[in-house]
Amino acid sequence: MLKSKKIVLVGHFGVGKSSLIRRYVQNVFSDDYFVTVGVHIVKKVVQVNNQELTLLIWDIEGKEDMKKLRPSFLLGTSGFIYVLDASRPSTYEILEDELDFIRTNYPKTELVTVANKIDLVDKESFIATLGEKAPWITHFSSAKTGECVELLFEKLAHTLVQ
Amino acid sequence: MTDTEKLLQLKNLLLDEDRELAQKILQKLDELQHTIDTKPELAEKVNPIIDDKLKVFTEEIPGKLGPTIALALEEQIKNSQEQVVNILFPIIGKMIKKYIASEIKALSDSINAQINKTFSFKRYTVKIKSFFTGFGQTEVMISEMAKSKVVQVYIVEKGSGLLLGSFSKQNTIDEDMLAGMLTAIKSFGEDAVQTGDQSLELIEYEFYKIYLKNFHTYYVAMVISGIFDDVFKNKLEDDLFRFAKKQINPNIQNKAVLNTQLAHFFKDA
Ligand SMILES: Nc1nc2c(ncn2[C@@H]2O[C@H](COP(=O)(O)OP(=O)(O)O)[C@@H](O)[C@H]2O)c(=O)[nH]1
Ligand SMILES: [Mg+2]
Repeated sequence: MLKSKKIVLVGHFGVGKSSLIRRYVQNVFSDDYFVTVGVHIVKKVVQVNNQELTLLIWDIEGKEDMKKLRPSFLLGTSGFIYVLDASRPSTYEILEDELDFIRTNYPKTELVTVANKIDLVDKESFIATLGEKAPWITHFSSAKTGECVELLFEKLAHTLVQ
Repeated sequence: MTDTEKLLQLKNLLLDEDRELAQKILQKLDELQHTIDTKPELAEKVNPIIDDKLKVFTEEIPGKLGPTIALALEEQIKNSQEQVVNILFPIIGKMIKKYIASEIKALSDSINAQINKTFSFKRYTVKIKSFFTGFGQTEVMISEMAKSKVVQVYIVEKGSGLLLGSFSKQNTIDEDMLAGMLTAIKSFGEDAVQTGDQSLELIEYEFYKIYLKNFHTYYVAMVISGIFDDVFKNKLEDDLFRFAKKQINPNIQNKAVLNTQLAHFFKDA
């Protein structure tokens, strides 16, 4: 069995995909915004059940619609991380369509949904405004404070080896 | 004093002043005449003024006249392109020649350094070769360098871009990330062209090329240094098909075995 997995972060522009990866891989954060052009791939080796697992994390440029993403960048993905920005409702307006799209087209791929920038909002009232969308969100993270970032990737890594 | 006397006195006074003034003016005129007649003295007076004016002029000319001049030049160049080319050609030609000469010198220097560094045995073979071929030692080395060589081989899973096996004659950047980026570039290119079954076959850099060969679930990327011609490409393809059938297909899930086989097969390629 292959000991490496491809993970892709998806979601709108500026929700914090690159920042989450930087926080996870290098443990740093920057307030500056560097637009990701094309794709950037980084690697992180994690221990899962006392075994090494290599994660190849694809940071692709954000699109306001999953359908506009280059399908070839999504092929062979073991886990998707769908990121939204808790401080910008426009980034989760069509969340249901986006998640449906992933589940339909990549049925075998693991999927986690992350509300990032949780440091900018009050978590309880954010969940309240989400209403029926709330249960779809699996993690509430902040690339800035580091909250939940490592946990998010590690949990995904665990589900990938099962 | 009578009134007449008074008047006279006053007249004298006034006239005296008149006379003095006239005298002064005449003197000034004389000085001026002198200055004009003797150039250096005029220059002493006038030069500062000219300098001032010139300064203003040079400061203002780019803004005021610049665009006009540029436009005129542009027009002229447009109307006489051939002439301009003729004028520039020798200058550029010389520059290029000089550049190439210095590059060749640098190359030849580095080869000479390499000759001095390598084993004496190798030096003898080169010497013997150059003796028989009639080429200089350096020239023989250049052709050795230009010989195509497989420097690195990567077997990469299609889609995911995950590395299935690799072989490298020199240590490079992280191979996993390289395989991913190669896959991204490959699929980006193939998406962009979108002419059915076409696939990216060759990525060319200045000193090496990456040759990509598609198989069903994976592709093989080979980094090649030296000249990549059809003869070499055909031989490489044959080798690769043979290797894929014998080694890749049965060992696709076993990276360690693939790595060993790759090293064995490509170490002399
Ligand atoms: N306050 C806060 N800002 C964040 C967080 N994550 C990212 N940002 C900022 O949001 C902007 C966009 O982040 P980036 O990672 O480039 O987004 P991407 O387009 O999804 O890759 C940057 O200015 C980041 O500094 C977060 O958790 N909290
Ligand atoms: Mg980004």
